[in-house]
Amino acid sequence: MRFGRTSKAVGIAAIAAIALSACAGNSGGNTPSTGAAKTGGTATVVEVNAFNTFNPNTADGNTDINSKISYATHSGFYYIDNKLNVVHNDKFGKMEKVSDNPLTVKYTINDGVKWSDGTPVTAADLLLQWAAFSGYYDDADPKAKTGTSYFSYAGDNTGLSLTDFPEISNSNKTLTLKYSKPFADWEIVLGGPGIDVPAHVVAQKAGLKDTQALIDFFKSKPRGNPQAPLPADPKLKAMSDMWNTGFDTKTLPADPTLFLSNGPYIVKSMNQDQSLTMVRNKDYNWGPTPSLDEITVRYIGSAPAQVQALKNGEADIIAPQASADTLDQLKALSSQGVTVDQGNQLAFDHLDLNFSGPLADQNVRTAFLKTVPRKDIVNKIIGKLDPNAKPLDSQIFVPQQAAYADSVKNNGSSAYQDVDIDGAKKLLNGATPEIRIMYNKDNPNRVDAFSLIRESATKAGFKIVDGGLGKSDWGKALGKGGYDATIFGWINPGVGVSGVPQIFKTNGGNNFNQFSNTDADKLMEELVVTTDRSKQDDLQKQIDKKIWDSAYGVPLFQSVNVDAYSDRITGVKLMPNQTGVWWNFWEWAQK
Amino acid sequence: MVTYIVRRLVTAALILLGASFLVYLLTALSGDPLEELRTSSAPNRQALMDARINLLDLDTPAPLRYFKWLGGAAQCLVPFSNACNLGKNISGQPITEALGFALVQTLTLVTGATILAILIGISLGIVTALRQYSALDYGVTFMAFLFFSLPIFWVAVLLKEFGAIGFNDFLRNPEIPPVVALGIGAVLGIITAVAVGGETKRRLIVGGSVFAAVSLILFYFSLTQWFRNPGLGPVIIAIMGAGIAVGVTILVSGLKNRKALQSSLIVVGIGVIAYFAVQPLLNEATGLMIFLLAIAAILIGVAVGYFMGGYDRGQSMRAAGLTAFLVGALVVVDRFMQAWPEYFNNSRVRGRPIATIGAGTPNIQGDFWIMSTDTLTHLVLPTIALILVSLASYTRFTRSSMLEIMNMDYIRTARAKGLSERSVIMGHAFRNALIPIATIVAFDIGALIGGAVITETVFSVRGMGFLFIDGLLHTDPNPVMGVFLCVAITAMVFNLIADLAYSALDPRVRIKA
Amino acid sequence: MSQPTQEDELLAQQALSEAAATQAGSEVTSGLSQGQIVRKRFFGHTGALIGLAVFALIFLLAFTSVGAFGIPGWWKYNHVDVSPLVNDGAPTSSLWPIAWGEHPFGQDRIGRDLFAMTMRGAQQSITVMVLIGAIAGAIGAIVGGLAGYFRGWVEAVLMRLTDVIIIIPLLLLAAVVGQIANRRDEGSWLNGFAANNGVVILGVFLGFVSWVGLARLVRGEFLTLREREFVDAARISGASNARIIFKHILPNAVGVLIVNVTLTMSAAILLETALSYLGLGVKAPDTSLGLLVAQNQEAFATRPWLFWFPGLFIILICLSINFIGDGLRDAFDPRQKKFKAKTAVETTRHSSTTAPVADAPKGS
Repeated sequence: MRFGRTSKAVGIAAIAAIALSACAGNSGGNTPSTGAAKTGGTATVVEVNAFNTFNPNTADGNTDINSKISYATHSGFYYIDNKLNVVHNDKFGKMEKVSDNPLTVKYTINDGVKWSDGTPVTAADLLLQWAAFSGYYDDADPKAKTGTSYFSYAGDNTGLSLTDFPEISNSNKTLTLKYSKPFADWEIVLGGPGIDVPAHVVAQKAGLKDTQALIDFFKSKPRGNPQAPLPADPKLKAMSDMWNTGFDTKTLPADPTLFLSNGPYIVKSMNQDQSLTMVRNKDYNWGPTPSLDEITVRYIGSAPAQVQALKNGEADIIAPQASADTLDQLKALSSQGVTVDQGNQLAFDHLDLNFSGPLADQNVRTAFLKTVPRKDIVNKIIGKLDPNAKPLDSQIFVPQQAAYADSVKNNGSSAYQDVDIDGAKKLLNGATPEIRIMYNKDNPNRVDAFSLIRESATKAGFKIVDGGLGKSDWGKALGKGGYDATIFGWINPGVGVSGVPQIFKTNGGNNFNQFSNTDADKLMEELVVTTDRSKQDDLQKQIDKKIWDSAYGVPLFQSVNVDAYSDRITGVKLMPNQTGVWWNFWEWAQK
Repeated sequence: MVTYIVRRLVTAALILLGASFLVYLLTALSGDPLEELRTSSAPNRQALMDARINLLDLDTPAPLRYFKWLGGAAQCLVPFSNACNLGKNISGQPITEALGFALVQTLTLVTGATILAILIGISLGIVTALRQYSALDYGVTFMAFLFFSLPIFWVAVLLKEFGAIGFNDFLRNPEIPPVVALGIGAVLGIITAVAVGGETKRRLIVGGSVFAAVSLILFYFSLTQWFRNPGLGPVIIAIMGAGIAVGVTILVSGLKNRKALQSSLIVVGIGVIAYFAVQPLLNEATGLMIFLLAIAAILIGVAVGYFMGGYDRGQSMRAAGLTAFLVGALVVVDRFMQAWPEYFNNSRVRGRPIATIGAGTPNIQGDFWIMSTDTLTHLVLPTIALILVSLASYTRFTRSSMLEIMNMDYIRTARAKGLSERSVIMGHAFRNALIPIATIVAFDIGALIGGAVITETVFSVRGMGFLFIDGLLHTDPNPVMGVFLCVAITAMVFNLIADLAYSALDPRVRIKA
Repeated sequence: MSQPTQEDELLAQQALSEAAATQAGSEVTSGLSQGQIVRKRFFGHTGALIGLAVFALIFLLAFTSVGAFGIPGWWKYNHVDVSPLVNDGAPTSSLWPIAWGEHPFGQDRIGRDLFAMTMRGAQQSITVMVLIGAIAGAIGAIVGGLAGYFRGWVEAVLMRLTDVIIIIPLLLLAAVVGQIANRRDEGSWLNGFAANNGVVILGVFLGFVSWVGLARLVRGEFLTLREREFVDAARISGASNARIIFKHILPNAVGVLIVNVTLTMSAAILLETALSYLGLGVKAPDTSLGLLVAQNQEAFATRPWLFWFPGLFIILICLSINFIGDGLRDAFDPRQKKFKAKTAVETTRHSSTTAPVADAPKGS
């Protein structure tokens, strides 16, 4: 701390002074702006996960937040409303079934629909989506490890794999798909809710001249054949690489073509892992018109932190993964004008019985199901959240769907409404089977459900063994045996029927309990090729009954869906599927 | 010396190699990376699982995968090659990129808290050591252990409820009822009375005056709506500056050194004049400018001390320099307070300044003061939480270190020479007590880089801790390895530095070459 | 880990003891054995005494109320049984008039008795704590002792091993351990045992990874002690290595060991809490204090009893262990006494606790 010379100190001070004046000059004298004038207002929405890609269709990018941002910044032929109906957006274009046999679907994009850089949205954009979603060019054989898999699409390509190369009109506005056999879910496989990857950008990045060159290129390529794999096509590879990872980013890209919008909003700024802000897309007039000028999304992981952020005015709309306590806390906020909505989610917990071991006997299965205190479980686990909650009574439908009420009436679920210990004892006839129940110990709801089932089943003479596993082990144990019954959750897709055979068909991919019923199998084979919605419902009702009749297991309860919003905002509505509150974001308005 | 360092570095590299292998294996074994997909009812479940297996290269056994990873990581050692490859995380982001971002987040969050915790902890430790087994000692020990025992997520929830939401509600109408003002004054008065020690009469006088002062100030604040329009102004700065000057002089040189006291007071005078001079400059402030001004302030202080001289010129310079820095800080605080109403009324802040989450208000715009205020209002809660829970180890450690030193022969010698208690403590005991504290501080820096997992979760900051735990929960070794490398390398380097510093500071410790 | 570990303190103490190593320690000789002196000083430490009493009380309450090791306790519920909700789950106990009621701490949402759960949780947390303390203490003493006594390649190998383990994040180790301890799918005897005693496995494994700080400390202590005259004397008189280690050095190092084991134990409770918060610790339906607090953190504003009672027990256990450790440190440290004796005169009026200390002979 000892300076040899005073002059030295003075010299340093002088340099400091010069530096100061220099940097003061640079900063300029502009006064801070206090936000633009409000025309439509702003809202802050809380999400759990952080945004990381502008293409939400890839296996790695397929998270809820990416899909939601894409939903708000892109438009397409349809969207799904909170009654789980497919709503067509005719201002964007027309999607129509022109023939039932063979199933032919025609997509027409309206004039004037364009990307935010002015390029019109054309059939080329739809073709690129088809190419990516159908896996048409893939010739990979996972077993033999040969061939190439190009576009890494997160969704299911069962439907589109049935289609031939589509026909594209000369105007470049129409695309026609022909299916080789009827496909039940044709309405929701292509063209919505958003056409999110611009073909002209992908074409350009892959070194093609324009979208016409892209169409020609796709046309020239034959369907991939896993039996006779070709060497990877470099152009297609370049395109698919662009599609797979080219739109991944956590910060706003310098190149504006990487985040083009063709929907109500356009992303304005991104703060990595903190927030994302969208502003109105000025050109947009081909769909529901949004009323807010700006939507900010903030990422907050824990539910209590979300509630406190809402309470502190840092967030306007939250949809936390709610427990009864979170809900109570939210309700306490009503004094400051917070509105809380609650309903059911498409996710539900259920008890499945293995068709083997002590439960191979239908009587034992029935007896066991009779002891399950479904009402008690619902009351204790969900009752605090939703006093009107009832046990879920269908294996296939959820109450939001119109067919639910009908199906429940005669699917046989009424036999398991109340606990019937005596009935169970009668069926058991003095036997005391040992039942090992497997569940995820890290999920408190399942732990509690297990405790309640054990309590009740023991009364009827069952010996219940706690087979709960930690969260990283129970998934692996599913379907492996080593337990007799299991408690876990499914997510009902809400729209579409392809998932049904997956779970209930003999040897279905998710058929973990070896359920097998020839009649049900036949019905399901018919279901997946039925394109008429009411017929689909009929078939599903029959399947539902078959499942209940076999004492397959029982659904327990649907998870509770909660959202809450401050008094600044109106127009927020519950939605049971994973789009959540976003489904009608255009109706959000600031008071 | 050089051989010692080289040997240490070679051992460190080997240790790092062994430990990284273990960490990789442990992470890979710690769970099931396909868990979330196993119960998916999607018809293409198998395809999704294959994609994940491909992405994480799960077909390769974990030990082999480690060597693949090592191959990429080894390229980081080649300087300027830009070939550093630590793999990608599950969402496809390169780890090097994710680490860079997370590191900044974590450092912003924990640096201030750690520095403050060290400063407060060491001061409390010294005070409690000097007053061992007093009510103060027991009180501090109890509080330290209490905070140490509290789960941080709980502290965080309470802080948010009262520190942010409650305080923001209070700001809407910042009036303090007289009863509350008296109550706060009484509590603080009692605490000081207990803490101050000495005769009952002295305690009563000190406690009483604190009570009166605090209550009056709170009345004043309430009347003038001070919390809405805070400010110090030159008068308060002058009064507080004089207090600082006296306090600093007591610590640095003792009041007997009149020259030191005078230099400090002169610096306060200069500071008050400078207060007016720098106002226009401060309106154009940048971070660099504040830094340079701080340096300039210290230099001016030192210069004043130099010219005042006295029998110990060094003491005068230190006292004046420190005073200048602190008075400068007061001026900056005052400028922040001037910016407060504007920040408060900002359309993005909407009159609720203290934030519960995140690192900044999205889309906020403004000058240096607005932006800095925004950062500070977001940092204040996590900082308090971290300080509370990490105070204990510093306090307890400094206390025992200080007690140890106070028993040393050289302290007795110093006392026997007739040195004042101040010079014995500040000049002889404190400095030597600091030496071992350097070790634990060095050790903490590694932990600091590692982030605070739970704090980050509760305050929605995605730093190193989040990266680590997210990787662990997805059984994805790449982010875990990235964080581990950062933490381990920093810890080792700082341990080496601490050992070297140790031998330099303490002549009794010799390095075995 | 956001919770500060006591590790830093341990490490730094090692540095401290090394720094102080050159100072010739002079043992107190006034007709009392070391044990007697320690005991006397410990019992003169008010904080430590209160800590000990509180801990003993909690220990008794926890282990007698819901029973342990198959012996039933006096409380009518256990931590897994579900009973109908009384008073909507709110605590039935009241301070005035003093009454326990049916569920003194209340019930959780499905009707389990919180008092039983808290007691079971306290048992588990104490078990984990004691196991970690015992195992870490034993391994730390052996590794540190061997390294410090034999030096050479033994030290090199053991200390490098320690270095490797010390830089692996504790959270990661604990997470992996938590996974292993909770794995039930394979039929080995370990898994069979783990299924019933998950917490014991957790404690054992955590003990296996938290000895490193202790080992470094003990090594430092041994390095100092082995150069002392009485060790030379023993060696010259033909004592074996084992005899020197166990009869001569270990008793002198035991103070450092015990003190730091208590500190490790208090950190262990918090480690268990943090692990359970992150979902890596004890698994439901078994329970621990950390798990209870973590599970019920959202209830903090609405059903605070679910959160307060287990939280209170964590704090009480942690505080009492810390105070016991503090008392032990003061009691075992021969150097501390001199300063106390000197300052006792100055501070007598602030505190009555210095009285027994002032009695101690003023060593030189």
